[in-house]
Amino acid sequence: MGLESNLKEGSLVTARLEDLVNWARRNSTWPLLFGLACCAMEMIAAGTARHDIARYGSELFRATPRQADLIIVSGRVSNKMAPVIRRLHDQMLEPKWVIAMGICASAGGPFNNYAIVQGVDKIIPVDVYVPGCPPRPEALLYGMELLRQKQSGEHFSKYVFTPEQPGAPAEAEQAMAGLVPRIG
Amino acid sequence: MPLLNVSPVDRLYETLPNLDDINIPARAPQPDGATEDTQTIAAAFGDRILAAGLQRDLPFVHVAPADLRDLVTWLRDGELAYTTLIDITSVDLSELPDPDPDVRFQTIYLLRSLARHKALFIVCPLPGGEDAEAPSLARQFPGAIWPEREVMDLMGIRFADHPDPRRILMPTAWPNHPLRKDVPLGGEDVPFSLTWDHPEFDALGDQILDPESLPPDLPPGMNRQNMILNMGPHHPSTHGVLRLVVELDGERVVNVDPDLGYLHSGFEKTGEHRRYKDFVYYTDRMDYLSAMNNNLGYVLAVEGMLDLEIPARAQAIRVIMSEMQRIASHLFWLSTHVLDISGNGMSLLMYATRERERILDLFEMVCGARLTTSYIRIGGVWKDLPEAFLGALSEFCDLFPGRIDEYRDLVKDSPIWRTRLEGIGMVSREDALAMGLTGPMLRGSGVDWDLRRDQPYSGYEQYEFDVPTSNRGDGFGRYEIRMEEMRQSIRIIRQALDRLPDGPYRSDDRKVNPPPRTELDVSMESLIHHFKLFTEGFKVPPGMYYHGIEASKGELGFFIYSDGSGKPYRLHVRGPSFNNLYAISGMSRGLMLSDIITNIGSIDIVLGEVDR
Repeated sequence: MGLESNLKEGSLVTARLEDLVNWARRNSTWPLLFGLACCAMEMIAAGTARHDIARYGSELFRATPRQADLIIVSGRVSNKMAPVIRRLHDQMLEPKWVIAMGICASAGGPFNNYAIVQGVDKIIPVDVYVPGCPPRPEALLYGMELLRQKQSGEHFSKYVFTPEQPGAPAEAEQAMAGLVPRIG
Repeated sequence: MPLLNVSPVDRLYETLPNLDDINIPARAPQPDGATEDTQTIAAAFGDRILAAGLQRDLPFVHVAPADLRDLVTWLRDGELAYTTLIDITSVDLSELPDPDPDVRFQTIYLLRSLARHKALFIVCPLPGGEDAEAPSLARQFPGAIWPEREVMDLMGIRFADHPDPRRILMPTAWPNHPLRKDVPLGGEDVPFSLTWDHPEFDALGDQILDPESLPPDLPPGMNRQNMILNMGPHHPSTHGVLRLVVELDGERVVNVDPDLGYLHSGFEKTGEHRRYKDFVYYTDRMDYLSAMNNNLGYVLAVEGMLDLEIPARAQAIRVIMSEMQRIASHLFWLSTHVLDISGNGMSLLMYATRERERILDLFEMVCGARLTTSYIRIGGVWKDLPEAFLGALSEFCDLFPGRIDEYRDLVKDSPIWRTRLEGIGMVSREDALAMGLTGPMLRGSGVDWDLRRDQPYSGYEQYEFDVPTSNRGDGFGRYEIRMEEMRQSIRIIRQALDRLPDGPYRSDDRKVNPPPRTELDVSMESLIHHFKLFTEGFKVPPGMYYHGIEASKGELGFFIYSDGSGKPYRLHVRGPSFNNLYAISGMSRGLMLSDIITNIGSIDIVLGEVDR
């Protein structure tokens, strides 16, 4: 059935390291246990038995940003919450991805007023926008499928920080000094 | 000369009060007439009462701020027994005709007498123009502290002798008071052609505050000798973006200070800029676990202002939807509560969401949406029930009581569940009344009060059901109440299904509801109604109105001040979670840190409704 049944004892598989690492990353993308508003309910529904996000290796919602690969911004972002989300995103380790779930996180949605930030992409970079108010769990799963496609094509060079880059971590500078690509 | 197969329309549509001879905008009229209570009050206070009487069917008393405390204390302790303060709100009168420069604001208080099934509104015009001050009712009712802070924060009215005058929803560095009429709605006018390179793009992020402008203040009354711990706004067990500052002595809780507003979305201000029928869609997103209840609360308030007759079938459908939503909301409460505090939580989460998905499927059948339904509209419901719905629902009603037994068996005798709920989060009967708690929080403290039975709306008086109460006052009592409420909801749904009346599913008042599509081809009058309805909406007679319903978490009320135009002049939402959450400090003092998590789950909050 799987790869192992087709391989003889002691066989070797050759592959590009990038492909292997990307394969592992896209099949175990752990989201941050983080919900904002209505969309968070559909995110939870995606995690329960019927929609079963575990099929894609993303069932392990981590409560600390340091163990999470993906932040699903599920709901409207208020001005008071925006600095908090920014800090959560900053605390996540590379490589990290962002899904803006629903129209509020994507562009403010029906809440074009004083309280709500008009799209979370004003404060953090977004990889996939999932439309809907709220999107159905299936829509979120499709958004994660798009994210997996994006993850498959990533190159290590994306995570090499140049010393000139403002805010580049110190270890990235050291990695550059030794000309060793940093694979996160 | 009938065309097509549509019969000509010959009824008179002018059922709404004619607003043509009112200059719009208009102030709310002074109350007239009298009830027994307003007569008693007027007799006792004489000249100190500025006005008393009825506005529509609600009793209003106008009183000067200097006399407010006396009046409220007398009402609470006297024979009228108005023992509970349900809500405080305020109106900025500056954009109404004949503005009085001295009286810019007025505060409005809603008191309830649970023993006598009466409600009373007190209106308090505040002199002082922009810098108005009202007396604080915190000494009379502890439940006034948070609503007063909200008025202070959003409207900028000071409260004399308030024990805790801080902002509650907006960030501390926020420059204005958003609900004042001279503050714009805000937001951004973003053209779709705007790209990252556009110079305007830099300005878009200006309204975002930087973290340095939000210093983590030590809340008043906390002592740095003890450990100060921050929980949230990102915390897995706070049921949303609630932030709690906890003062700990070892692991014992000395004090808890909730910090709200991380999901403040400006619902009330947005409502002032939307037509009446358009705000229904916003209500879904407030308590997003009970959208149908929110729809119902809002449309009943608007229909009350319009004196609109709702067909019996629509009322029955509303009851069915409202009760299904109560079950769905309680199921979500159960699963997250068990997940928070008990070892076998994950399995119960999976089981309970299995049944919740079935309810969401039924919602999808009637309106196409799972969470944000917008199914209950002003004048009725959006569409009639589809044929397959009734069978599917009665199948669910047969299945569900057995499932409740399953859940009960999973947790009820579990030693973890028992020890972590019994005697934890105690609220006494007196405290519950004084804090203005509602819903299962109030019934869990032994107060037998349910708006569905005690002030029936939408035809609830036709159904037989029990209101479960518990004298325990702890988390276990509230657990038992919510479990029993699910059974009672099934009982109501069964009765409603059995005698579901035939007939129209929405009012055929063309001023409020659009005519059917077929009629537009044959009737010029219908075409005009259709056009007017979708371009300007309908107008609502001037006045103040409030309607409260028993939502799954407690009394959900909508207060509307209409100036006679097509949009509310002031829209205020009384969210049950907001008032109930106030109890968390008192419930958690002296317990262990982990019991705070139990109490959050036991109160059953939804942050969308707390922060609005």
